[in-house]
Order: sequence, then C-alpha cells, then structure tokens
Amino acid sequence: MKKIITILSCCLFLFLSCTERKKEFTIWIGGAPNEITFWENVINDYRKETGITVQLVRQPTYSDQRRQALVISLQAKQPNPDLFLMDVIWIKQFVQSEWLEPLDSFINKNNFSTDIFFKRIIEQVNKINNTLYSLPVFLDVGLLYYRSDLLSKYGFDPPETWSELLNISLKIIEEEKNRNNFINGFVWQGAQYEGIVCTFNEFISSNNGSIMKDEILKINQQPNVEALTFMQDIIHKYRISPLNTFTDMKEEEVRRSFQSGNVVFERNWSYAWQLHQSDDSPVKGKTKITILPHFKDGVSSGTLGGWHVGLSRFSDFKEEAWELIKFITSYKIQKRMLMEIGWNPARTDVYDDTEAQEEIPHIDILKNSLENSDARPALSFYPQLSQIIQRFVNNCIAGRMSPEEALKNIQREGVELMRLYDD
Amino acid sequence: MIKRNTVRENIEAYLYNLPLILIVSVFILFPVLGTLITSLFRDVTFLSSKFIALENFVRLFSDEHFLHSVRFTLLFTIVSVAIELLAGLIFALVLNETLPARAFFRIALLIPWVIPIAISGRIWELLYNYDYGILNYIIISLGFANEPVSWLGTTTGAFFSIVVSDAWKTIPFMSVIILAGLSTISDELYEQSKIDGANLFIRFFKITLPLLKPVLIVALLFRTIDAIRIFDLVYVLTGGGPGGSTTSLSLYAFNYYVSGDFGYGSAVSVVVFILASLLAAFYLKTVNVNR
Amino acid sequence: MKEKHIILILKTIGAVSLALFCLFPFAWMIIISLSGNADFLTEGDLQFTFKNYFEVITYESAHLLDYLRNSLVISLTASVSATLFAGLSAYSVSRLKFKGRILIPLLLLGISMFPQISIVGYLFEMMVNFGWINTYPALIFPYITLTLPLALWIMISYFEQVTKELDEAALADGATRLQVFYKIIIPVSLPGLATSFILSFIFCFNEFLFSLMLTIDHNARTIPVGIALFEGLHGQVPWGQIMASSVIAIIPVLFLIAFFQRYIIGGLTRGSVKG
Repeated sequence: MKKIITILSCCLFLFLSCTERKKEFTIWIGGAPNEITFWENVINDYRKETGITVQLVRQPTYSDQRRQALVISLQAKQPNPDLFLMDVIWIKQFVQSEWLEPLDSFINKNNFSTDIFFKRIIEQVNKINNTLYSLPVFLDVGLLYYRSDLLSKYGFDPPETWSELLNISLKIIEEEKNRNNFINGFVWQGAQYEGIVCTFNEFISSNNGSIMKDEILKINQQPNVEALTFMQDIIHKYRISPLNTFTDMKEEEVRRSFQSGNVVFERNWSYAWQLHQSDDSPVKGKTKITILPHFKDGVSSGTLGGWHVGLSRFSDFKEEAWELIKFITSYKIQKRMLMEIGWNPARTDVYDDTEAQEEIPHIDILKNSLENSDARPALSFYPQLSQIIQRFVNNCIAGRMSPEEALKNIQREGVELMRLYDD
Repeated sequence: MIKRNTVRENIEAYLYNLPLILIVSVFILFPVLGTLITSLFRDVTFLSSKFIALENFVRLFSDEHFLHSVRFTLLFTIVSVAIELLAGLIFALVLNETLPARAFFRIALLIPWVIPIAISGRIWELLYNYDYGILNYIIISLGFANEPVSWLGTTTGAFFSIVVSDAWKTIPFMSVIILAGLSTISDELYEQSKIDGANLFIRFFKITLPLLKPVLIVALLFRTIDAIRIFDLVYVLTGGGPGGSTTSLSLYAFNYYVSGDFGYGSAVSVVVFILASLLAAFYLKTVNVNR
Repeated sequence: MKEKHIILILKTIGAVSLALFCLFPFAWMIIISLSGNADFLTEGDLQFTFKNYFEVITYESAHLLDYLRNSLVISLTASVSATLFAGLSAYSVSRLKFKGRILIPLLLLGISMFPQISIVGYLFEMMVNFGWINTYPALIFPYITLTLPLALWIMISYFEQVTKELDEAALADGATRLQVFYKIIIPVSLPGLATSFILSFIFCFNEFLFSLMLTIDHNARTIPVGIALFEGLHGQVPWGQIMASSVIAIIPVLFLIAFFQRYIIGGLTRGSVKG
C-alpha cells in the first residue's frame, strides 16, 4: 500500500511540475536560412537597445505548414507565440477567429502614424472593419522581368499592353529560332497552387475584371473571360508560353527558366532579381524590370504578396510586443532588411533613400507597383476559395476546359462555398 | 451465501476494471462521439457554430479532392497489404528453419518496425532525393537509367515511394508474426506427409496454408486497418503531394483541422471510421464463416 | 537430396537479402550522420566527422534534448500506467466471473482499430478546455488508452498460464484478492509485465499524430515530431544533422530491442496468434 501511495504522489508531482511553464516572449518567423540569420541579428540588437529578451522560433519554410502551426497554437489559446508573421491571405481568417489583438490602442497611445506605410495596403489588408489588426513587415508584388538586350536588339521598348508583349515575343522567337531552339516568349506561374491565383488575378485586374464585386463573388464577368482566354491562348494558340506552364511552373521553375537565358519575359516576385544578377547567371546584366502590362483599356496591376506582423490576443507580453513591432517597422531596420536580404520594405520612405536607390535600380517601379497592387479577396475562407479557382483556371489553361466553362464552374462552386460560410 | 459472493465478486471485478474503463471512456469513446457530433455542425474558427446535419457529408461526395483521397487510400491499402503479406509469407517460409545467429536476424527484422515512422520517413526522403539520394546513384551507376528518377516529384513516383517505404517497415514485422504461426505447426505433420510422398508444393498448400489461415487473417486484418488510417508516412515523406496526389484520408482530415475547419475535418474522420469498421466487420464475418 | 540443397540455397539468399533490406536504410542513416557533406555521392567526399552530433546536442534552439526528455518521460509514465491498468483488468478477466469478462477484452480489441484521426480532432478541443495543450498530460492519457488493448491481451494470455491453484492457496490463507494480485501473480508474471511495458513504451515513443496536434513547442513536443519538422538552423536541408538527431532519437528503442528482443517477439506473437 505504502509503495503505491509513494508512486502515485511522485506521478502527481511530476504532472504538476510539467503543466507549469516559464513565460517567454516569443516571436515565430519562417523563411529561408539567410533570412533567419538576419532576424537573429535584429533580435540581438533589440535586446541591446531595450534589454528585452525575445525567443526567436523558426517556423517551417512552407507557408501552409506555418499556418498549420499558428492555427493550432491560437485555437488552443496559447501564450506562445506572442508575435508572428502572417501571409497576406490569412489575415482575415485570423481576425474573424478572434486571435489578433487590435493595435489601435497602441497606436493612439504612442502617436504612431500608419501614414508612413502604403495607404492602399493598410486599407485593403491590415484594417478590418476599421480596426487595425496588423502591420506590414515586408511586401511583395508581381513584376515583369525582361531581357533588355533582346528587346533593344530588335528595337523594342518594354511592353505596356499584353498585345505588345505578345507581338514582341512572337517577333523575337521568330528571329532567334535559328540560334536557340528552346526559346520561349513568356514564363509565368500556372501550376495548380496558390501562385496561379496570383497570376490570374493580375491578368483579370489589368482588364478591369475582378474576382469579387461589392463583396459578392462575381467571377464570370466578360473582362475575366477575355483575360482567361488570353492566358489559354498564349500557351496553345500563340505558343509563347511553354506547355509545362500548367504542370510545373511555380516560382523557382519560372525563375530558373528565365535565368537559363532562353526566355524573353518573366512574371515573378521581386526575389528573382538578386538571383538573376548573381555571378554565374547567364542573364546577369541583361535583365530589367517593369510593371506588368495591361489590356487595352485596363490598368496594370500586380498581385500583392508579403508578410505582416500580428500580435496574439493571448500574449502575456503585449506592451513589449508593441515595442518590437515599432522596432521592426522602424526606418533603420526596414532599410537594413532591404539592403541585407532584399526584402521590400513596408515603409514608403525607405524607397526614397539614396543608398537604397543605388542598390536597387528599379526601386521606383517597385514602389509604383506596390502603390497600385491588388490584394486577393479578403475572406476568412479564402484558402478554400483559392482551391476552387486554382483547379478550374489550371484546367482551362491546360486546354481541358473553355474559359467560359471554367469561370462558370468557379462561380457555381464558389457561391456554394460562400453560402456554407455565410452567417 | 453464494449470491452475496457473486455480487461481491462482480463489484470487485468492476473495481479492477475501473481505471481502464474510465480512461478509455474519457479519452477514446467520448472524443469519437464528439467527432461524430461535430461532423454534423459547421464548425470553423472564424464563424459561429451552426447545426447543418448531413451537409458536410453531401459536400464531401462532390468534393473532387476527397474522392481522390479515397481512391488513393484504397489503392494504397490493396497494393501494400498484398505485397506485404506475400513477401512476409515468403520470407517467413524461407526463414523457418534453424538459423545461425538467430538473435542477430531477429534484431535486424525488428529494426524497421521499431524506428518511428516519422524518422524512417526522413531517411527515405534522403534515399529518394533527386540530386544526391543513393537510390538514383545506384540505378544510374548500374545503368538501369540514364537520368535520375524523380521519386517524389511525380504522381506515380510518389505512390511507388510510399508503398516501398511502408513495405520496408512492415514486411519484416509480418515475417515475425507469420514465423510464430509457422512454429505452431508440428513437424510431425510434415514428416508424415513426406513419407506419404508429398512434395514441397503439396505440403505447402495442404498443410502450411490451412493451418496458417488464422494467423494470416489476423495479420491481414490489422495491416489493412493500419493501411486505411495511414498518416505519418505521407505527412513526412510527401506531405500529401505532389499536387495532393498522395493525400491519404487521414491527412485530408488533418489538413482541414489545422486550417481551422473542424466540422468538415470531422466529417472526413467519420468516413475513415466507417471504412475501418466496415473492413473489421467484413473480416470478422469471414473468420466466423471459417469457424 | 536435391530438394534439401535447393531449400538451403533459398534459405541463405532469403535470409541475407532480408537482413540487407532491413538494415540498409538504417546503415545509411548512420553514415550520413557521420558525414560533413551529405551530397558526397555527387560531389565532394564523405568527410567523416562527429560535428553533426555535437551541433544538434549543443544548439539550444534545436531543442533535441528537450524533445528526448519529453519523449522519455511521457512514454515511461504512459507505459507504466498502461501496464498497471491492464494488469488489474487482466487479472479480473482471468480470475473472476463477471458480466464484462468477455466484453471488455473485445471492446478493447475493437478500440484498437479506431482510426486515430477520428479521435484526435475532438481530443484537441477537450485538451484546450482542460488547459492541457502543450503539457505532458495531454499526451500521457491518450497514449495510455492507445496501448491498453495490446497490453491487456498480452497480460491476459500470461495470467491464464499462471495456475489458479496459487490463488486458491493464498485466498485460503486469508489474503485479499488484491494481495494475491501484487504479492503472487505479479512476481510470477514478470516476463508478461516486462513485455507489456516494453511494447507500450515503443508504441508511445513512436507516436506521431497526437503529438503533432496536441503539442506546440519544446515544452512538451516529442522527438518524432521534432525530427519530422526539423529544418535546421542555417543552410539548406541539413541532412547530416537530421540523421544525427535520428540516431540519438532511436537509441532508447534500439537499446530495448537489443536486450529484450525475445520478449518483444514473444509478446507480438502472443497478441496475434491468440487473436
């Protein structure tokens, strides 16, 4: 009997000591290895300046896995993480799920102004129901890369419309065919994943189309049909985009394709620039950037990407977290971010910095694109809607479905989805 | 007198079983019930809960991704169980003699089974690696192919890779179980039949197989159920890819849970539960018919 | 005569190929863990080094030792408890005539076939309500339930072999049933207890899904999840470090099978042959 009692009490003691945890101020950051090093340095500098210790926890590289971990943690009302980065498309869900602490009280107390950030982005993404829930840390937008050497060789200016891009591609392919069998006109992300929705969004927005209209799903509109038809045609009819666009082409495949020297135009995020300029790149010094083209009566539009910082409603360190947010979005750190790891700052003033302008020759185009960027629909169930759009758009550009049919299907299934999630 | 003892015995017996019953009820039966009930609700993190009866299930059956998961899971189950049972049987037969270094072989057989699937998944991830995995190295050096094979990057490759990794873990385990079954068959039966002039094949089909049947059926049952609920391997090795082609049913449900959609995820879980139950019922019926 | 030779050849080929098949990935894991250059097959050479082991143990942010500690404590507690509960229950099934005598083992058999995914979703909600997410109890209790079926069946088969006359004699001497249980039956069935404990431990140690969903960081996370999600801290996928962590992770279970393989195989076969 005595033995059993001692054992049981040991177990109990073990239990109790294990349910207690020491409180730590934690920030969760994901990304590539060189980026983690940068953040470790930022955290160290923050500690030197303020004396506050922050635990940096590295999240997986892939966006979906990062969201998984955050959803579990926040749904379980955990005190960790206190701060975390969110992909632009999660923010609405996180707000609706009541996981984010509103930042308005901090802003008002500190006389902090959000004017320094891109106004459109703050309005479209960070403010929900007129409350500020997150701040952008770094931004990204879809851009058009082109072979400046080939364009000047044949006397072309960078295209402003899609038909110009088409004609330039056809001409250059025709002329270069003898020298280069593998030459392609235009590579872009068309595989069945989130990226194809970004590209799709750019095409339709540049034709004055959209996915939503007045907060209702209205995807089978005429401008969208025209834009999607063009996407299908450049692969199958005009053949300026390769056949593996809809099977393989994601960010890296697109980048590598352009970097191999066999492509005239590339649609990609801003990260590709540094890699194209690396010493062993065949396109080094021959690449330039411009804003994406538009359709005849439309306006150019790049899809907004990038990551935003959020404060957990369950954090034990809210004041300290706010200080860290201010630190991360300060001019000094944002400029370092641009210069050291090539992430585009969330603050507009860094774009006017002379050193920054030297480092990144196309920085004005970048700023311009960001100011006119288009965010994907801010819906709490956006990921599910995205799945539907991905599937049918991909089927269409694969030649298996007409644009009208594809959009009708998206509309049908999308409306079903919205009904399900409508309160 | 007797009645009182029986009553006391009953109470005593239940007391002995109390911890077990309590813990099983709270941590298994209750959650399963909870899952069943949740599947009848719209339960997402960003909206209020709403009772929607069978709507989740209706949505499931027109969900292309779900149907694909079902197909993948069933196909994987059939293929892997067939391979593992057959290979396990063959190896067991071959090993069913006294061997030198018996302990060594037993330990070798247990190693694949004892390594956590998550860890063996990462080892196989490395073996299948396109650029520097040893599998590609071997097949190119031996001249079986000119180019490296994308084991994990194509749909067929990924399926094949999962089956092989699962087989690696399971075949030795099956062999051990079947070996034990073989050891219960007395040698006298074989001796007698040899005297009667029966050759290897006849001995196998008339003696070994029938007497092994119970063990084989049990092994088959547990392997099938395990295959239906596969999760660890697909999560670690392929993440359900490429393009969601190797997403098993468990992984499909899991993905919904961790996107914050507990209602839909529960519906998928209920389907897995029903599938497993149907299989178990089917097997038990076969066993009873045999008896 | 010929038949005998054919069998011998088949036997040797079979045994050797099976051993190679089993050991090859395991050996490769060890090789890479000791290599400073994981892609030595395509470029560079092996670079034999212990650096990987040193790094994963000393890098605090890798939390490898935390994961190992969590796994060991959780698995030990769960398997000891499971063996205890199963032992009590098996004793009653084997010795006492009561209504649940056949039902309880069958119920547990059925429960062992439940898909874990059907349990874990709602279990998560429960754990959030208990406040147990990312703590040891969140895993210990479910693990006990997951290993109870096997433990129960093993114990029942061992207890059945202990002759009931021992019980009778002790009872006649005035001992209570409980005293008979822990003074007589348990010492006699130590192999059964050991088997049950070892198999439960292995099962708990290797469990993945529950740990993935019910824990969040190094405070309670177990080692299979830790290694599955290991991305390394710097550089590309750090295979050397992953393999070194894996080797460290499986040392406990390897130890168990090296010394107790008889028990393990005995237990497994009892479980299936009896079934």
